[in-house]
Amino acid sequence: MPENSVPENNPASAGEEIRVGVYTCHCGGNISHVVQCEQVAKLLGKLPDVVVTRTDPSFCSDTGQAIIEQDIKELGINRVVIGACAPSLHEQTFRGAVTRAGLNPYLYQHVGIREQDSWVHSSDHEGATEKAVRLMAAGVAKARLLTPLAPIRLSAEKQALVIGGGVAGLRSALDIARQGIRVTLVEKSPFLGGRMGQLESVFPLDEDPRQLLHDLIQELAAHPGITVLTQAEVTAVFGYVGNFNVQVTQHARGINDDIAEALMAACTQETTDEFNYGLTRRKVIYRPYPGCYPATPAVDWEHYNGEPIHVNGESIVLKDELQTYELTAGAVVLATGFNPYEPHQGEYGYSEIPQVITLPQLIRHLALLKDGDELTWNSSPVRDIALIHCVGSRELDGVHEPQADGQVNNYCSRVCCTASLHMAVELRQRFPKLNLYELYQDIRTYGRGHEEIYRHAQSSMVRFLRYHGDERPEVIAAPDGDTHPVLVRVKDYLTYGEEMEVPVDLVALAVGMMPRQVDDLVNMFKVARGADRFLLEAHPKLRPVEMAVRGIVLAGTAQGPMNLQESLSAASAAAAKVAALLGQGWVELPPFVAHVNLTKCNGAGACVKACREDGAITLQTFIEDGHEVQRAVVTPANCTGCGACVGACPNRAIDVQAWTLAQYEAMVDAIAMEYPAFVEIYR
Amino acid sequence: MENLQVDALVVGGGIAGMQAALDLADQGFKVVLVEREPSIGGKMITLSKVFPTLDCCSCITTPKMSSVAHHPNIQLLTYCELQSVTEAAEGFRVGVMQKPRYVDASKCTGCRNCEYECPITVPSPFDRGLGAYRAIRVPFSTAVPQAAVLDMENCILCGKCEKICAANAVDFTQQPETFDIHAATLIMASGFELTPLNAKKEYGGGALRNVIDPLMMERFLAPTGPYGRVLRPGDGKEPTSIAYVQCAGSRDTTLGVEYCSRVCCMYAIKQAMLISGALPLAEITIYYMDIRTFGKGYEQFYQNAQAMGVEFVRGKVASIREDAEQNPVVKVELTEESRTVERTHDLVVLSLGMLPATGSNEILGLPLGTDKFIAVPAPNASPCATAQPGVFVAGTAMGPMDIVDSIVTASAAAAAASAYIREHQKEAVYA
Repeated sequence: MPENSVPENNPASAGEEIRVGVYTCHCGGNISHVVQCEQVAKLLGKLPDVVVTRTDPSFCSDTGQAIIEQDIKELGINRVVIGACAPSLHEQTFRGAVTRAGLNPYLYQHVGIREQDSWVHSSDHEGATEKAVRLMAAGVAKARLLTPLAPIRLSAEKQALVIGGGVAGLRSALDIARQGIRVTLVEKSPFLGGRMGQLESVFPLDEDPRQLLHDLIQELAAHPGITVLTQAEVTAVFGYVGNFNVQVTQHARGINDDIAEALMAACTQETTDEFNYGLTRRKVIYRPYPGCYPATPAVDWEHYNGEPIHVNGESIVLKDELQTYELTAGAVVLATGFNPYEPHQGEYGYSEIPQVITLPQLIRHLALLKDGDELTWNSSPVRDIALIHCVGSRELDGVHEPQADGQVNNYCSRVCCTASLHMAVELRQRFPKLNLYELYQDIRTYGRGHEEIYRHAQSSMVRFLRYHGDERPEVIAAPDGDTHPVLVRVKDYLTYGEEMEVPVDLVALAVGMMPRQVDDLVNMFKVARGADRFLLEAHPKLRPVEMAVRGIVLAGTAQGPMNLQESLSAASAAAAKVAALLGQGWVELPPFVAHVNLTKCNGAGACVKACREDGAITLQTFIEDGHEVQRAVVTPANCTGCGACVGACPNRAIDVQAWTLAQYEAMVDAIAMEYPAFVEIYR
Repeated sequence: MENLQVDALVVGGGIAGMQAALDLADQGFKVVLVEREPSIGGKMITLSKVFPTLDCCSCITTPKMSSVAHHPNIQLLTYCELQSVTEAAEGFRVGVMQKPRYVDASKCTGCRNCEYECPITVPSPFDRGLGAYRAIRVPFSTAVPQAAVLDMENCILCGKCEKICAANAVDFTQQPETFDIHAATLIMASGFELTPLNAKKEYGGGALRNVIDPLMMERFLAPTGPYGRVLRPGDGKEPTSIAYVQCAGSRDTTLGVEYCSRVCCMYAIKQAMLISGALPLAEITIYYMDIRTFGKGYEQFYQNAQAMGVEFVRGKVASIREDAEQNPVVKVELTEESRTVERTHDLVVLSLGMLPATGSNEILGLPLGTDKFIAVPAPNASPCATAQPGVFVAGTAMGPMDIVDSIVTASAAAAAASAYIREHQKEAVYA
């Protein structure tokens, strides 16, 4: 049970002199280039109880914070109002400063005059200045009514949940467990390793990806603090940071180890092999590759037709059984990974011309060839091959056909340039006579050791053709009787805009990265996605691997395109955040929750009906004057501070702490107030 | 000599070192952060706004500096040089020498009266030599610690600072102080140096007054900068035509720098956008080979710049000369048109790249890559582990990267270091 440490809502003790300090931040010009901060400060100084008003280039700096701390200590400031950036950026920074000076952190009011003012009214300096005055005057009016509060401290489960068993999820799980925090890793498919297992060689050092995965998984499997659930999905989520109650539903493995091999051998039903991106078929009892983890074959329940399988004279019908687990996790890592972009029908001839495939398919195709084999496609020799970059990446609105959901992928997928060139180098080594063409916009070999791969390709007789983003190449089937089955047409700017026609036997599309479909997780955890549909970090620099919902962190390509090294870094970074969050065994939540004034409550229960959270407000029995009465009681840990109960209460008996009705009324009065001084100066 | 026993020693107080220290300290580990300069903040604190959000740089950096200064688990040692690193039982012994500030930092209140009194003016490296500061000064307005430092090289020992100082903090007799630090693990966040302006003679950097480096432009654009506006240094004229020469220190075998510096495309585009705001009539041209806007939100940023009218010209700049009015004349091969032209601009910014910082890396003797940055032998298994067990690397010490990537690698290095501490130390110092 969470410990409830919300104090009584102490009204400002009678006779306390309210002394307000008002601080208007220039935000390094972000605000002061539009808002006349000195003027704002001067006008606010005329408001009641305001003892001091100041401006500074950046109050969030150590020197800026020191000014505020000094005022609290030396001028006896006991209410602080800061007009600056959005509270999401630095509200916590200033709460820290106020606390250091010995003041209750909730006697501070943050007013956003950057996002809400200077940034959106940059062409109206006077109007923006007036708005800043009104917003900050409202902040002062509210601050005068603020009372000391304490955060809600809840015990936090020293247990993390990692969703996704690709390399990012594996790395995160291991790094969290190494900090002494138990981890449950949930993977949807029957095997760990994710997309990395489908690669044959990883740049820049050409390591064997499945060996790297094997080493990582061995370490993880040997760690006593990690539980792995494959064929499992999160199906329900309740709770909050420190105490997410998660329901996980797992399919049955369906086969015992002792007859697994025999069953797999006897199985005759086949389906498309997604491990080879549809190039081959596999049995419905399968392993994706030798050495996978877990080693026990899995039953593909989605495709298994339920027919008996005959083994050793026995007929065995396999049965799936869903099992559900409930677990409590203090923090959750979302490592749900990516899918390669799937070109739509006819995009560069894809799924219309049989000789057009994707780069991931080409990687698998080469893996299926034996050493010494000639390169063929559909049994025809491949003499000329073209790789086209930026398929499903760097798309332009109005130029590219939107996807089914109306989106075009504006973003760069980071890995495709190096992956294509890496492929070209490999092809050159294996097939010295092959003619290679790379069609690109910009070569983005940015990483350590990547430029070397580009140089290697340049010196390996790879022919480069450069196209403009709004003039993408065209891939068409060659007329019958042509020497090659496919023609690639491109306006090439390396030859000053010449229209080229390249006859080839095979085209590989360097497809970009798309986030996996995680609508259910997004809804369950109430997290945000960016315009690119990848999961969205809280702030790219202040909190680059954390989501806005506390306790939920991001690892790897669920957040955006990354290469392997970058995914690993992000995954370890996520582990550092989880370790810091759960290391203490407790978390603090802000005290902005509903509070019932029991003397005004008549137990009508409208609030209980209005409440959208489970168990946040309930009616309990009290004895009053010898009679049993019903009164509303808030469980702070379950309350989100939404205020629905406040609106429903007929007696004005409920307030959200630090956002009370009285405070709102004071703010509205202040915003709407006539300012004689203001009018005098500006008219 | 002071002895310290900690869980981790972080070398470098730039954004990567600060983040690594904070992540370790937040997990309860005791950390010493060693910084060579008199203030932490690194290169980032000198920047104007940061891509792709255009957040003001101070808004991101200064609160982190403040957190480092106030964190109970972090001890900050500024103005320090590494002297020696040796392997010791359960970790490393690190000798650190703190240079004399000639100011008692524990007494100094940062009031700056010494600075106002000092008669000696010297070019400020913080402002890339575009502005000046005194021989005794608080390094910059948001410096951490807020304590003055006196540079003896320029001081004339007039004693005015000592007289004016109410805290009696000025001390001309201060001696270097040494620290003997026992740390279970080390994180190298020693950062980068910008390619020297004169590295490529054909571009006239250092010789032509209106050919500048990108950090100078950051100072022109920064609200805390020396002029508070964009002026060309040659004659103080407001430039109406500004050009960027991309890959001026990168992807160039003649400079021995084969690698891409990763940030130059984005900072050039960012500065172009900021200049468009400051000088709406200015024409801005970016000469490039490949535009590499690969990060999250970066391609959109590039498209926005194109829509704002920033001119992107694909071409390799051969040389830059000066005309009679000190205007840089750029000779460029237009690689999409098969011709070479000369174009005159008011101001040229060379998009210089990143070189490894020198000094502390040599003390450790860590193996370096062919690019001279600290080698990471298994990037696809342990992306922040150096060749030396127990030593991890964060940020640009392992190669060029932008701020977001530096911060992520710093957190990753902290995770790797904390696991190492728990697994290799019998008893961690952490509470």
